[in-house]
Amino acid sequence: MTPHRAETKAPQFSTESPLKIALVEDKRDVRESWAKLINSFPDFICMCKCASGEDALRMLPPLQPDVILMDIFLPRMSGIECTTRLKNELPRTPIVMLTASDDDDLVFVALQAGADGYLLKRTTPADLRSALLDVLTGGAPMSSEIARRVVESFRQKPRGHDDTISLTAREEETLMLLTKGYSNKEIADRLGLSIETVRSHLKRIYEKMHVQSRAGAVARYMSGKPIENG
Amino acid sequence: MWQSARQRTVFFNRIPRRRSARGNRFLRAFGVSCLVGFLFSSVVFAETYPLSKPQKLTPQAEKVVEQLGLGSWIWTTNFQEKQTCRFWKSFEVPANDPVRRALLRITADNSYHLFLDGREIGEGSNWKALTEYDLTFLLTGGRHVLAIDGFNDGREAGVLLGMRITLASGKQLDVVSDDSWLIVPNTAHRWLSRNRPDADWQPATVVGVVGQNPWWVNPVNIMTPPTLQPYEQHFWKTTWFLGAVLSVCIVALALSLWLAAKLALQTRAQKLLEVERARIARDIHDDLGAALTQLVLQSEVAQTEFPETSTARGHFSQFCSRARAASQALDEVVWAVNSKRDTLRDFSSYLCKYAQTFLSDAAIRCRLDVQAGMPASVFDLSVRRGLLLAVKEALNNAAKHSGAGEILLRINKDGGNVVVVVEDQGNGFDPDALGGAGNGLQNMMQRLQELGGTCHITSGIGAGCRVEFRMPLAHPASRGGFSLRNLFRRQNGAHQWQNLNGQ
Repeated sequence: MTPHRAETKAPQFSTESPLKIALVEDKRDVRESWAKLINSFPDFICMCKCASGEDALRMLPPLQPDVILMDIFLPRMSGIECTTRLKNELPRTPIVMLTASDDDDLVFVALQAGADGYLLKRTTPADLRSALLDVLTGGAPMSSEIARRVVESFRQKPRGHDDTISLTAREEETLMLLTKGYSNKEIADRLGLSIETVRSHLKRIYEKMHVQSRAGAVARYMSGKPIENG
Repeated sequence: MWQSARQRTVFFNRIPRRRSARGNRFLRAFGVSCLVGFLFSSVVFAETYPLSKPQKLTPQAEKVVEQLGLGSWIWTTNFQEKQTCRFWKSFEVPANDPVRRALLRITADNSYHLFLDGREIGEGSNWKALTEYDLTFLLTGGRHVLAIDGFNDGREAGVLLGMRITLASGKQLDVVSDDSWLIVPNTAHRWLSRNRPDADWQPATVVGVVGQNPWWVNPVNIMTPPTLQPYEQHFWKTTWFLGAVLSVCIVALALSLWLAAKLALQTRAQKLLEVERARIARDIHDDLGAALTQLVLQSEVAQTEFPETSTARGHFSQFCSRARAASQALDEVVWAVNSKRDTLRDFSSYLCKYAQTFLSDAAIRCRLDVQAGMPASVFDLSVRRGLLLAVKEALNNAAKHSGAGEILLRINKDGGNVVVVVEDQGNGFDPDALGGAGNGLQNMMQRLQELGGTCHITSGIGAGCRVEFRMPLAHPASRGGFSLRNLFRRQNGAHQWQNLNGQ
C-alpha cells in the first residue's frame, strides 16, 4: 500500500511559518533521526519530541501542533490508545501512524481509532514530506485493502446501529472503486467528480469510521481483547 | 430284618428313621433307658459301622451281571455318615475301531452325579433302580475319563456301574466298577477334567457284589434317558477362535492406543511448531526489522549532512535503498513464517498489496477483483508460499512482456480451492510456439502440481493473456488436521520447513 504517493502537487505553504510537527516515539535513536529528517525540510519543524503516550497527552494539547506522527507500538499506553485520547483533545489535528511493518489489522484499528493515515518507517524522505502535506490539505489516503475492510465494517451493522453513520451511495461507490485498485484521480474521472470531492468523500468516510468505531473495535482493543482475525 | 428296616426314599435329605433300631436293642440288652446314653451309643455306632465283605455272586446274580455288564458295589474304606466320595477312572477306546454302541448303567446308594470327560451325563438317587445312559455318540477313539461324585446319607454306601462298549469289529469292551477306580481326595481341585490321577489317589474298595444283602439281585427298574448327543461345537466357541478374537482385540487396542499417543504427540508438535514460528516471526520483526528501519533512518539523516554534489551522498542514497529493500524482503519472510497469517484472507490482502506495489513501480495500473468477505479459513504454509511465488512470476511476466497498461488480479474462493487469475489485454503470445523460452512457465506449473494445484494459461497473439491458478486450501500431504496418512508420517513439521526454505 502506497497511499501517500502524492497524486497532485500539494499546495505550497508559506515558508514564513514552518509547519509544526510533533513526534511520539519511544526509541531515542529513532526519535532523533525522525526529528533531524523533518527538520531537514525547509517548511517543517519538529516542535516536540515525546518518548511515550503519557508524555504526548500532557505536552501536545497546549502546543497545538499541525501534524502528529505517532509510533503504533509504544510501551504502556499504545499508540492507538494515545491516538483516541489525543483526538478528544485535538479533534482537528491530523495524526499519522508510524509502523515498522505493513500490518493491516493494526493499521485498520489505528484508523478506526482516529488516525488520519499511516507511514511505513522505512519510507523515503520525499514520501514522508508529501504524506505530511497531503494530510494537512485534508487528504485522507486509503489503500484498497483498508477500503475493503471499511466496506466490511460498515456492512456488519453494529448493535444500536445509527443511520447517520452509514455510508452514502457515493461514498460506498468511491470505496468500491478503491478496493478495485483505482487511484483517487481515476475515481474522480469515472464518477465525474473533481479530485477534491473524492478526497472529501474519503475524509467523510474516515470521520464516520471514527464515530462508528468509538463503541466498537477500539473499545474492544483497549479492553485488552485480541482483535478479531488478528 | 435289616432290609425290612430300610425305609429308602429318593431324597437326599432323608434322615434314617430306623437308626434307633439297633440302639434300642443295645439298650434293651443292657437294660439302660436314658437319652444321653442313646445319643452316645449312636455316635459310637456311627464311627464303627463296618463295611460288609464282598461275597460270592449267586448264580442268579451272575446272570444279571453278565447280561448288564455290571461291576461291584464300590466305596472308600474311610466310611463316614453323610459322606461324599468321588471316583475317577480313565479308559481307552481303540482309535481304529469305531464304537457301535455304548451303554452305561449306574446306580448308587444313595446318589451319584456322573461325568464323562468333564461333561455331566446325569444324576440319580434311587439305589433300587438302574439308569442306562446311551453314550454311543460321545465315545470317540482315544482316552476318556469317567468321574462319579457319589453321596451317602448313612449306613450302606456304594456305587455300582457297568459300561459295555460294542465296537464295529464286534469286540466288546467292559468298564465296570471295581477296585481299579481311584478315590479322589476332597482337596483335589478340577478333578472332573483331570486326565491323569495324582499319586496319592487311593484305589476304591469293593464293598459288595450284585445281589449281596442289602442290595438287589434284579434292579426294580431300568430307566433309559434319551441318547446323549455330543455337544455341537460352534466354531465361535472353539478355543482357537476365541483366542484369535481376543488377540485381534488386543492388537486393535494396542494400535488405537499407539495412534492416540502419536496423535497427541503430533498435535503437540504442530502446536509447538506454530508457537515457534510465531516466535521467530516476532523476533525477526522486533530485532532485525527494527534495526534495519533504524539503519535506513540514520543513513537518511547522514545523507543530509553531506553537500548535494558529494559522492558520499550518492553512496548513502544507494545504501538507503538497499536497506529499504532488505527491510521489505524481511517483511515478506516474517509474513511467510508467521503462523498467525495462515489464513486465506491474509494471503489475499498480501497478494493485493504486493501486486499494487510491484505494478505501480512498473507504471502499470493494477485492477483488483477480490471476493467480498474473504473467509479466514486456514491456508497451508507450503501452498500459500508456492502460490505466491507463482503469482509473482505471472505478474512479472505480464509486466515485462504484455505491454499492457493495466493488469487485473482476481482472487476468489471456489469450494475448497483458491482461484487466482492474472489477466492483461496486452500483446499476448502463442502458447504452442513458446518452446525453450517457456521454462519459467513450466517450472511454475510443476511447482503448483507438486502442491496439488493447477495452472491454465490462455493466450493468443494480440489477444492478451490470462493465467489462472487453482490451488487446494491445504496441501494433501502436509495438512495439519487429522488424517491417518498424516499420522504415519515421521516428521510433518520438517516437511513444512523444507518447503519454506527450499524455494
